[in-house]
Amino acid sequence: MTKTRPNSFAVNRRQLFAGAGALGLSALVFPRGAGAATGGILRVRSYSDLQILDPAFMLAAPELDIMNCIYTKLVAPKAGDVWGWEPSAVESIEQLDPLTVAFKLKDQLGFTDGYGQLTADDVKFSIERIADPASESAYAGDWATLKEVEVKDTLSGLIHLNAPFAPLWTSTLPSSSGIIVSRKAVTELGGKITTKPVAQSGPYILKEWLPKQKTILVRNPDWKYEQGAYDEIHITPIEDEKTAELGFEAGDLDYTWTSVSSISRLKETPPPEATVVEKPSLAFVWMGLNKDVAPFDNPNIRRAVQYAIDTKAVVDAAYYGAAATSTGIIAPGLPGHRDACIYTYDPDKARELLAQEGAEGLTITLEILNKTERLTAAQVIQANLADVGITCEIKQHDSGTFWTLGSKDGDTWNKLQMYISRFSMQPDPSWATAWFTTEQVGIWNWERFSDAEFDELNAKGQVELDVAARDTIYKRMQDIMEESGQYVFLTHEVVGVEYRNSVVPALQPNAMPLLSDFKPA
Amino acid sequence: MLTYTARRLGLGVAIILVAMAILFSMIYLIPGDPASVALGPKATPEMIAHLRERMGLDQPVWRQFVNFVGSTLRGDLGEEALSGRPVLTVVMEQLPFTLALVFCGILWSVALGVPLGCIAAVRRGGFVDRVIGVLSVAVIAVPSFVIAIYALLIFAVRLQWLPAIGAGEPGSIASQLKHLILPSLAVGLGWVGYIARMVRASMLETLEAGHIRTARAFGLPERWIVYTYALRIAILPTVTLLGVGIGHMLSSSVFAEIVFARPGIGKLVYEAISTRNYPVVTGAVLVTTTFFVFVNVLADLVIGLLDPRVRASFN
Repeated sequence: MTKTRPNSFAVNRRQLFAGAGALGLSALVFPRGAGAATGGILRVRSYSDLQILDPAFMLAAPELDIMNCIYTKLVAPKAGDVWGWEPSAVESIEQLDPLTVAFKLKDQLGFTDGYGQLTADDVKFSIERIADPASESAYAGDWATLKEVEVKDTLSGLIHLNAPFAPLWTSTLPSSSGIIVSRKAVTELGGKITTKPVAQSGPYILKEWLPKQKTILVRNPDWKYEQGAYDEIHITPIEDEKTAELGFEAGDLDYTWTSVSSISRLKETPPPEATVVEKPSLAFVWMGLNKDVAPFDNPNIRRAVQYAIDTKAVVDAAYYGAAATSTGIIAPGLPGHRDACIYTYDPDKARELLAQEGAEGLTITLEILNKTERLTAAQVIQANLADVGITCEIKQHDSGTFWTLGSKDGDTWNKLQMYISRFSMQPDPSWATAWFTTEQVGIWNWERFSDAEFDELNAKGQVELDVAARDTIYKRMQDIMEESGQYVFLTHEVVGVEYRNSVVPALQPNAMPLLSDFKPA
Repeated sequence: MLTYTARRLGLGVAIILVAMAILFSMIYLIPGDPASVALGPKATPEMIAHLRERMGLDQPVWRQFVNFVGSTLRGDLGEEALSGRPVLTVVMEQLPFTLALVFCGILWSVALGVPLGCIAAVRRGGFVDRVIGVLSVAVIAVPSFVIAIYALLIFAVRLQWLPAIGAGEPGSIASQLKHLILPSLAVGLGWVGYIARMVRASMLETLEAGHIRTARAFGLPERWIVYTYALRIAILPTVTLLGVGIGHMLSSSVFAEIVFARPGIGKLVYEAISTRNYPVVTGAVLVTTTFFVFVNVLADLVIGLLDPRVRASFN
């Protein structure tokens, strides 16, 4: 079903003249508003083009948006303002005990391209290939405690775990790691699906991928359950948010994320026949201090920096007043979210500590990604630090350079003093803390933060199923991070979304779209 | 003519080789590990090491360059590390969009620039000449991305006459041309000024030539003299300028492709550099450099063909 068009621009002379004539007579004369009606087509923007459509090797969220439409999974994330899931490919699914999940598949689910019925064996294959270290899936950690998937019969099976796994229902089963692919199809492909999916099984199927131009999904004619509401979904990759906003205002898109800087303006004066909403994000932004590089090998200087930063001023300036400050790395609504930080803005205490350490007139470097909001945040931080007598130099990097600064394999980690970073998140607190363990030093833990209690709690939090107990664990972990003086928590950001009033979007609490659930108003 | 052609082609090949050597050295001086960038935050060090090996990044740079030249000569530009798609396919998918953009940009610049240059020359020193002069300098001075953004805001967002994003519906030439109007205007408008100035200066010189005076003495109509006899000679420097202009428009296409969310080589290279996707960077730059050199060689050959003095200088 899938085809790529290597050269969709190829035209013959007759077409060229015909097109030029048509252009002259119609395109330039008639306003395009009349022709912009969407009909059965939903036009959405993604921030990048797809590179791979294999759930075991997914690279970016836009690929998940497509895979959520063209594949099925045992349970799917729910749209709304509260994180949750609902049964998808299953008639029933139940946690029998902390180590066992029983499932029974719906009986009319099938794969396209003649790959037959979707079976419990396909579930076993899909889950175990991600967990298998030999597959080299970056998502193996989502099935960290998997023992095996036992097939009971064609449609039923049991998922056996070696240890309880709290993220199972929040960020494993409803995410890409819960997607079911066809054993037969993937085996025939040599173990990896590329950009041409075969054996699709969702409410939509990928009809055509035009690289860097458009991905077209159409209704799956073999889908036996609730049909997708649109005949087609056209996904246009547009990296620049401002371009996407203009595309929306010009009537070329029905749904898009907006830039943070535009949220206030768009909310005040939304485009005609459109709605603009603001959603909290799960992502976290913070400033990290590398304790293995002077002067931050001195805990009092680290603390002085914590006291010196007015996080509200930083976030207000960087996010145009649209985002709130954070109290840690776990967003509101998740277990472990803290009510407040321990060390807040107090420049007098910062000066006092610096004087005590004889560190007046210090010069330090703050490294950032070359994004507008990071630069603005860095400039406010620079002003805050200048206020307490620290000279701060800002160094901007492109993404390719920035994301290697703290790597133990390079030679920049031992010069990296301070940096601003942002990690995206899944709706489970273990996703936030996993990157700051001792094991992660020089990988994603660039502060080189190391604490035995933190590591122990991180392991404990993954297997603790009691929500209240997890809440305590993750709050304590963020306390430890802050006590170390290596972290200044900034914000969880905010997401702006605009859509036509003719569309009823299905959005997760952090505005991640569930495209197959979008409906006409 | 044969010696002239052989020399131009030899020079073209040398330019491509030097450009590729410079590019290859530059991208390996840029900090950032392509394997880490490609695999993202959840990749383990083992996976990163494995991908580095697959991409050949574990080998010395000189060997990577030799391998690249060798495989290029065999027509193989390598594969994208993650998707496994041939780089040549990836590049060739995007090339037609950029060529269409550049071609239409040239159309704008020639269609507007040549007549404006002629009119300015014929009305030398008058009000029209001065207005054209000011306009020409103005469009040269305004960066193409500014033109792109304003054109988009006026014609797509405000008036909604033309589309703002994309390259049009596949298979619909009308839709694709409609999507080309604003981006190609943004790319080509600056060159309207260059060409108008160049044609004006060249025309002024030509209009003083002996054969033009002779034509006037024979009583031929002025319009006929200007557009048939004078323009044919005066257009020659513009052909050379267009050769250079194509290179400039290829660069400008990056802005147009980003602002108008169009597919194309410029955007492909921009994204590939951001993600350290070296096979795509080298493949795309090789193709565009070859195209640019080919166009310039072609321009030289056309001039050689039209002007015997140029041929003689090489012989």
